[in-house]
Amino acid sequence: MTAYPVKAEGVLGSDHRMGDETFIASLVACVAVGLFLIASVFVPNFFQPLTMLNLVTNNWAVISLGVGVTFLLVSGNFDLSVGGVVALSGVLAVWFAQSADGNNALSTGLGFPYWLAIVCALGGALAVGALNALFVVRFSVPSIIVTLGTMMLARGIAQVITQGSQRNTNLPPEFGILGNLTMFGTSVRLPVVLMVVLLLVAIFIEKKTVFGRLTYWIGANPVTARLSGIDRAKHLTYLYLLSAGIAGAVGILLASEFRSGYSNRGTLMEFDALVTALLGGVAIAGGFGSVIGMFFGALILAVVTTAATGMILSPDWQFILKAVAVFLAIVTQTWALARRNR
Amino acid sequence: MSHTPAYAQSRPAGGPVARFLRSYYIYLVLVAVVVVLSAANLDRFDLFERGNFLNQNNIINILRISAPLLTLVGAFTLLMVSGYIDLSVGSAASLSAVVYALFAIHGLPFPVAFALTLVVGAGLGAINGILVVRLGITPVIATLITLSLYKGIALLLVEDGVSAIKSGGGLSMPDWFNSYGRIGVMLGLPAAFWVAVGVTLVLVVAQNRTLLGKYAAATGGNPTAARLSGINTGRIVFLLYVIVGMTAALAGIARSSFMSLGDPLSGDGMELSAILAVLIGGTAFAGGEGRVLRSFIGALIIMALTVGMLILVPAYFQTLLIGLALLAAAASNHLISRKEVVS
Amino acid sequence: MTGEQPSPILSVEGLTKDYPGVRAVDDVSFAVERCTVHCLVGENGAGKSTLVKMLTGALQPTSGTMRVDGSAYQPTNPHQAREGGIATLFQELHVVDQLSVHENLTLGMERARFGFLVESDLDRRVVETLAMIEPSIDPSARVSSLSVAQKQIVEIARSASSGASIIIMDEPTAALSEREVERLFGVIRRLRDSDVTVIYISHKLDEIFELGDAVTVLRDGKHIATKPLPEVAGRSELIEMMIGRSVFQDYVPRATVGDEAVLSATGLNNHLLKDVSFHINRGEIVGFYGLVGAGKTEIARALFGADQCSGEIRFKGRKIGGSPKQAIASGIALVPEERRTQGLFTTLTIRENISVMNLRRLSDAGIFRSADERSAAVDYVRKLSIATDSIEKHTEKLSGGNQQKVVFAKCLFADADLLLLDEPTRGVDVGAKTEIYEIIRNLANKGTSVAVFSSELEEVLGICDRIFLLFSGALEAEIANGPDVDMAHILNVVTGGGGSVAP
Repeated sequence: MTAYPVKAEGVLGSDHRMGDETFIASLVACVAVGLFLIASVFVPNFFQPLTMLNLVTNNWAVISLGVGVTFLLVSGNFDLSVGGVVALSGVLAVWFAQSADGNNALSTGLGFPYWLAIVCALGGALAVGALNALFVVRFSVPSIIVTLGTMMLARGIAQVITQGSQRNTNLPPEFGILGNLTMFGTSVRLPVVLMVVLLLVAIFIEKKTVFGRLTYWIGANPVTARLSGIDRAKHLTYLYLLSAGIAGAVGILLASEFRSGYSNRGTLMEFDALVTALLGGVAIAGGFGSVIGMFFGALILAVVTTAATGMILSPDWQFILKAVAVFLAIVTQTWALARRNR
Repeated sequence: MSHTPAYAQSRPAGGPVARFLRSYYIYLVLVAVVVVLSAANLDRFDLFERGNFLNQNNIINILRISAPLLTLVGAFTLLMVSGYIDLSVGSAASLSAVVYALFAIHGLPFPVAFALTLVVGAGLGAINGILVVRLGITPVIATLITLSLYKGIALLLVEDGVSAIKSGGGLSMPDWFNSYGRIGVMLGLPAAFWVAVGVTLVLVVAQNRTLLGKYAAATGGNPTAARLSGINTGRIVFLLYVIVGMTAALAGIARSSFMSLGDPLSGDGMELSAILAVLIGGTAFAGGEGRVLRSFIGALIIMALTVGMLILVPAYFQTLLIGLALLAAAASNHLISRKEVVS
Repeated sequence: MTGEQPSPILSVEGLTKDYPGVRAVDDVSFAVERCTVHCLVGENGAGKSTLVKMLTGALQPTSGTMRVDGSAYQPTNPHQAREGGIATLFQELHVVDQLSVHENLTLGMERARFGFLVESDLDRRVVETLAMIEPSIDPSARVSSLSVAQKQIVEIARSASSGASIIIMDEPTAALSEREVERLFGVIRRLRDSDVTVIYISHKLDEIFELGDAVTVLRDGKHIATKPLPEVAGRSELIEMMIGRSVFQDYVPRATVGDEAVLSATGLNNHLLKDVSFHINRGEIVGFYGLVGAGKTEIARALFGADQCSGEIRFKGRKIGGSPKQAIASGIALVPEERRTQGLFTTLTIRENISVMNLRRLSDAGIFRSADERSAAVDYVRKLSIATDSIEKHTEKLSGGNQQKVVFAKCLFADADLLLLDEPTRGVDVGAKTEIYEIIRNLANKGTSVAVFSSELEEVLGICDRIFLLFSGALEAEIANGPDVDMAHILNVVTGGGGSVAP
């Protein structure tokens, strides 16, 4: 055995070499910026401050959902129920808040005070999260199947409550405030600010807290995690509750913004959230990925779809663009990591 | 030579009743569903024709509507037996439906349009196979990518401002177009249904009598053992994806013929129904386990329930009920498989 | 027709396998006669498994040749080995549970026309082979309904009917009951009578005397002897050939061993363990020595609460054994058997691995103190001389020895009072081994109790104060370590020679 050279603590402890996660996140960020510049050349009126701002503000819902989905993917699990939960919580909030004296079924609610309606709607969202956790943790059913089921369950309840359409009458005046409140004298609305706060908190949790690290440990190796004293069941339950809670809040804000509870709201949002996470370099095998990466993944998606719209492509192109983007992202990220670690 | 049977006898899997139930429960469930639907609220059957759920027209109607799913589940089962999944089948069916309608409306004769659509389906399956087998992308993600891709192509093939390929703008659907899925050819049932039966029979035989069926089970049951035995598991999986793609194309043809148009959204959610049918039929998540015929019965149960529920409750209960059924099937699948391990 | 002169079915000439820094198999030559049961024995690390891996094509020799039936044999994968006539019965079973016995027997060898399975003489042959070696198994039964022993026999029958002339069996009785072992022996004898040669690897010397026709002994990678078994004068001669020398041991009695029991286990029973009771003292290094399948890992996991078992475990007076979480909270840490799959988070960095078992030490209200975490990691990397240029290195990029040190660091960081070490130096190079032993001694000198679960005698004799000998789930004997320890006695006990009977 050779003698180990004595090293200064500064060398051993320093981050002189970027970690794989930071590497991928930077790669994704570069691609996002690169695509933005390319789009600016080809698409008229693209290179404008307002466009840049809109890339983020128009996607606050998906980015917020992406936070919960990213945490779950890092722990090695899917959550496809978030789109359904968005619909459910929005519809519930409306139904609870509608006054009880409407002149037909769809305009008659439970007449709760607004704050109570919000709390109960969040409760409904969390119940779906709890159901996810129950099936995944206790029954060990694959999370993809479970959350496909709860996706339909949540949206199904929303459809029953709205009889397949929407509820938008007989609402108290304060119902529309939360989703439309503009902040600091700008056009930026409250949901966008909340999204930014959520992102910052999520990044902090991911990098600095035990909770964040537990997520990586469980995703990286569930067996080692158990033998290291980690309670996987408990942590996954928290993660599903977190994801459902975020989705519930998004649903309530969207319901407030449009002053309606629409049973088809949030359709395909679970898919978009998954796509942004995958574009951002989150590995579905678990134990790898970051919220920052997911954020830039969302930007890539936003640039691509906005540019496509700007070039007057039919909106039908979005499905193909997403498919191609995810495919390229997975292939290049695998290739880049393999090359780097060769 | 000793014949003592004391040697760690194979564990009996429950009593004779339990074993009977495990083998035939699916048929009992089907009978139960039909009985319950027949007994329930007969007056509201006027959606089809006043009378019993077991009314001949009613049965024919359900079987006609079921043809696409019935065509699909057999191959889907074999793929899941080999331990893989295809979430893109719904989109592949939609795309096939659009392509088939395009062929027809541009004047291709029925056999040509039919054959070309099958080739397209095989190609769609092959793309899945390449992503999964060659590029090593996880099946769930790979087929989610193609789900989006095929759906996007299907939508693009239909002109802006129109919802589906149908007669109009100087072009018209040929007369034969809807006969495949609607006009009875035997026992009042259309060709699409008999094709579904035929495909299922072929796949039942394939599962029991061919290398493909056996190797699919080996690939899903113990991949290492399969490879050590010299089985090219990648080729098996690729082939299964192609077959699933072709049956998805058949499903799309049946659907578009039944609806008399090429609707780019017509296959949406078919992957969920297929998963549900396969789970009800007792196929294991982990691979290795599952029977084509039982999935066929599972699909019949779902369609009977769906149609029956349309009669009993408003349409907007549908999503909720499918979600509940999926969760219930997943939970019972878990309980059954756990029992087998424990006993 | 071959000539009158019986030629060996397998001959190995000057076979050598080098690993960086280690010669695992060193110029081994021997021959295996046709239609015999040829046993392969040697201590752990003697080179048996490397030799077998070369025979099965999992490894390629550095130099030397192998010949099967007189013709050159150079497999590069297990499938080629099978085509060359050598089949292997691995400890991990390679049968498909969901298929029938008959389907498993023909798997990969079916005759088919246009993809359709057709009846052939193969179907008759496999059924006959199975009936010949084990008539009680129904060919139409589903394999999932069979016991482990029956599955093994199905696999043997498949190898035999695939035309394999040599079947290698690696510790096939590890998971079998006594009656099942008898049954397996019957199968092996019938195989031998039907023109199949069996290479049988086992630590259980009684089995070798009962079953074998010839034996090859390996030691430290070298070939010691190949002899017909009737010429071997009992267990003692075999054991002598296996040890060959007095084991190098540097055990020095330690003064710091306390006499107050920290942990006591009474009446542990589960599928393998039979009424195991013992205690461990403060500051003591206790060894659990036994062969593969003797129950070492089971005891370690039971103490740690990773598997449930009946009986009572008390640690510092409190009842434990509920879950790993509880064990860690009460001051026990485990270095598990498989470091990659059980001990490490290979996709995470050294820093991120070290903190997992003692989060309180590095966090306030659930938030990491990053500076403390970094300096703790640097501290342990230094202490255990883990060879890395940064604590941010992913553990999958470390060598085996350094990975094991990270697992150690993880457990040391937990500040445990009792350390359970399951095969602590498996797959670790010599230098790292010595360092790990030094770490263990230092810990014990500071009052930590250590339990070493090992199948390497040298390791146990080198560091343990007290040694428990295990044989098939039972604690057969307890010996105090010292300069006059009787190694022949130890080997006799752990190979099934009974607790008190001298060789």
